[in-house]
Amino acid sequence: MNEVIRTHELTKTVKGKTITSNVNLTVKKGETYGLLGPNGAGKTTIMKMLTGLIIPTSGEIMLFGKKLTESAKDGLKRVGSIIEYPIFFEHLTAMENLRIHCEYLGFYDRKAISQALDMVNLHGIDDKKVKDFSLGMKQRLGIVRAMITKPELIVLDEPTNGLDPIGIKDMRELIRMLNKEYGITFLLSSHILGEIEQMADRIGMIQQGKLVNEVALADIQKLRTDYIELVTSNVQKTVYLLEHDLQISNIKIVKDTRIRIYDMKRSTSDISKTLISNDIEIEEIQKHTSTLEDYFYHQIQGGGKVG
Amino acid sequence: MAKLIELEWRKLDQKKVIGEVIVYWVIIMFLPTFFIKVIFADMAFVDFSKSYANALELMLPIQMGLLLFGASMINHVFIEEYKNKTMSLSFGYPISRKKLVMAKVCFIFLAVFLCTLVSFVLSGITTYVIDQIFDVIHGQPTLEDFMAFTVRSIVHSVVVALISFVPLFLFGIWKRAVIPTVICAVFLAQFSNFTGLLHITLNTDMLYGVLSLIGVASVYLSVAKVNQVGDI
Repeated sequence: MNEVIRTHELTKTVKGKTITSNVNLTVKKGETYGLLGPNGAGKTTIMKMLTGLIIPTSGEIMLFGKKLTESAKDGLKRVGSIIEYPIFFEHLTAMENLRIHCEYLGFYDRKAISQALDMVNLHGIDDKKVKDFSLGMKQRLGIVRAMITKPELIVLDEPTNGLDPIGIKDMRELIRMLNKEYGITFLLSSHILGEIEQMADRIGMIQQGKLVNEVALADIQKLRTDYIELVTSNVQKTVYLLEHDLQISNIKIVKDTRIRIYDMKRSTSDISKTLISNDIEIEEIQKHTSTLEDYFYHQIQGGGKVG
Repeated sequence: MAKLIELEWRKLDQKKVIGEVIVYWVIIMFLPTFFIKVIFADMAFVDFSKSYANALELMLPIQMGLLLFGASMINHVFIEEYKNKTMSLSFGYPISRKKLVMAKVCFIFLAVFLCTLVSFVLSGITTYVIDQIFDVIHGQPTLEDFMAFTVRSIVHSVVVALISFVPLFLFGIWKRAVIPTVICAVFLAQFSNFTGLLHITLNTDMLYGVLSLIGVASVYLSVAKVNQVGDI
């Protein structure tokens, strides 16, 4: 069984408002899947449905090949999660919270608790009440709780929220390590492109409650294009010179004064020299590489699929 | 189910709950003699000091005060969990919501039942001891009085535990509102007094029976409708 999650036409409506609509999502075993979308796109709602926190209005969730319903939630034994932000019984200690969690899941390996705490460098907090924890500590404790029972799938909603730069780096490394060394499948969400880009193998783009596209990061990287962008007041003459003198064919006029050259057979300095020698005033010339940001922007604007 | 009920207890701020229960017990244990000696002392038409059997009739409505403890438990076990979103943790476990709600209900029932029963015992002992010192009630308790007290204590503890669920569905799970839950409990605790003020005569046993049935109905709705109204 290669698919950990498969949803079919997953829809959630609250008070007549559609939050997510007909989401068909697939997460494969061993991969890190990133849900990417602007705030309010429906990422958290999808994650809540996948972890049993809310019940879908319609559609179907297959978790580890079995249908997830209110009366059949066994698949959740194999899932760890943090949705929105880590929630704890604040008046209890970290240890009490973790023990209660383990008992709900029928997991009684006490050694696993200290091992998991070591993994995220949370020491000496056994008797400290959670209400006295910083947000970063709570986030790390949330990770401990999510992985303590050795789940096969971990669902993390905006996992680096509230962490300092070191915490963010640690979190990324922890996710990578758990994914590579323990083969844990991850479903992550973020509205920050760079974040997802650094962690995910595959990306699902969510916009207005719909899954716009699912694509492997490696495929996006193949689609990446380099281009030279130049700004000049004399666009017409510049285009003529580029085509006739420099034999550049793949040119796009982006705005009235901005030209993009996708044909990279000429260097920036060659282009500059030719244009200057023909009395073209260059306001700006720069080499660019289109990023995931460009791809995402294109997807959201176009809403279409990439071939 | 026993494990789930135990976990409900472990999730609570136990010191707070125990402190609250002790306050209820201490106040209620002195109320029967206080009412007999102070409130009803000059009222010729009521004489709870006539015998232990009469004093028992006074003790039953006093113990209805523990409905407030029931409301407090609904607050801790349901409303606070919804508001702190810790309820979402429970919903993420491989246990159906109906079973989770049932465990919470059983926990509240046991807590209110046991606290009311202990309160009866403490009130009984305190009343007896004070009577021995200050001669509040005429005569001495008979074996019959003791048996009647034991039976009524158990039955009435069940009744208090059931009636305490009346606000559960509407105010606990649906509206998730603390103040209406407490006001509802106060109203229920004083219900027999209100009917007296309005000159409505109701059979007390029948009244408690009807309120208990409403409590059971509230539990049924809470379990049956949790998937519809219980989302975070």
